[in-house]
Amino acid sequence: MKRWLPIFVSLFILETSTSVRAQTDAEVQARKDALEVAGAFSNDGFKIRDGHWCGVLKPHDHSLVVVNLYAGNQYWFSGGATEPVKKIAVSVYDESGKKVSTETYNDGEKAAAGFSPPNSGQYFVSVDLLEGEEGSFCLVCSYK
Amino acid sequence: MTRLAKLAMLAFFAGVLVAAGAEETGHLTADQLAKAARSDLITIPTPGELFAALGKTGKTNWSGQYRGPIPVTYRNRAQIALNLGGLIADGFIAVEAKDGQQVKNIGSDIIKLAKALGVSEKLLGRGNSINEFADNDEWDTLQEELEATQNEVKSSMQSHADQDLVILVTLGGWIRGTQVVTSAIIQRYDERSAKVLRQPALVHFMQSKINEISPELRGEPLVKDVNEQLGEIEKLVSLPQSKAPTVEDVRKINESVGKVMTEIQSKELPK
Repeated sequence: MKRWLPIFVSLFILETSTSVRAQTDAEVQARKDALEVAGAFSNDGFKIRDGHWCGVLKPHDHSLVVVNLYAGNQYWFSGGATEPVKKIAVSVYDESGKKVSTETYNDGEKAAAGFSPPNSGQYFVSVDLLEGEEGSFCLVCSYK
Repeated sequence: MTRLAKLAMLAFFAGVLVAAGAEETGHLTADQLAKAARSDLITIPTPGELFAALGKTGKTNWSGQYRGPIPVTYRNRAQIALNLGGLIADGFIAVEAKDGQQVKNIGSDIIKLAKALGVSEKLLGRGNSINEFADNDEWDTLQEELEATQNEVKSSMQSHADQDLVILVTLGGWIRGTQVVTSAIIQRYDERSAKVLRQPALVHFMQSKINEISPELRGEPLVKDVNEQLGEIEKLVSLPQSKAPTVEDVRKINESVGKVMTEIQSKELPK
């Protein structure tokens, strides 16, 4: 039961929180999917950060967000997307823009990248549309 | 028209090739990096994340990092927001120390300060949850609850048209977190733990957010002072990737954030 608590807490916040920009139904669904992927990593002791990043995935475009990470921690960035998106990928880049090697998880419109930064500082997480058409996505971060 | 169609086709394929090129070379362009989204909720790490990184390098005396109780009767809203962030960081410290009573005391102060800002009544429920989890030694859940509390305070501020105060909560938490981490590193220096202090982009981002708030709030003596000192702190945490900060570097950061923290929690506002 305990392992599901972070997901329930996150879903509760998802339902109750008021954001500056109201989330669309598709983004809410994408966030639920992203939390479902992140929930699997909770079994390995990863804590889901109570924050997210949602947007629209476009073909041949990187949806990029800046994150600040600490050396010593391990991170998973989990993404979920909704129809008509068919397949996505999550990648991590260092502060110079060079792609870093990550563990990956891919399951159609859900994907994740796991990474232990060698240095503290700024990194970039990219969510890419591999198959399908333009649609909503959401990204969550977990760490231990 | 045919010529235009050919040009359009060429432009389309060039666009595809540029995107594919970035993918193949595994390198993002300067333009892509500059246009990357920055969001308070995902770009700025929580104090808990910073403490987790420090905890990897050995045992930290978390209870040795407590500070005495701070006033919860401030009148200035910017000062309340900054102290609220600092108190939430204190909550994370108490969780790391696995000190239930301290978590409950801090939780109670968080609610008092949040109420002074007129944020959501729902927070009272959070206070009860914090007490319950502390009584049951549910430390992981407590950490999540503190993070959720912080985000609920921020959400409530946004819905009360107090969005300018949100960054001050985040900033207060980062300053207090950095004060604690630098103090712990000085007490038990090693290069690996000192490396967590390299965060120039993070400080730069927070400063850019402060520069976006209303001129009235930015002009308040406390906010102005904190913002100015943040510029100095940014220089101190702009450390090279290849080299860990020395104990002297860490001491300088600790002194700078300590000075700001003293000003934030003082009842006497700067003039």
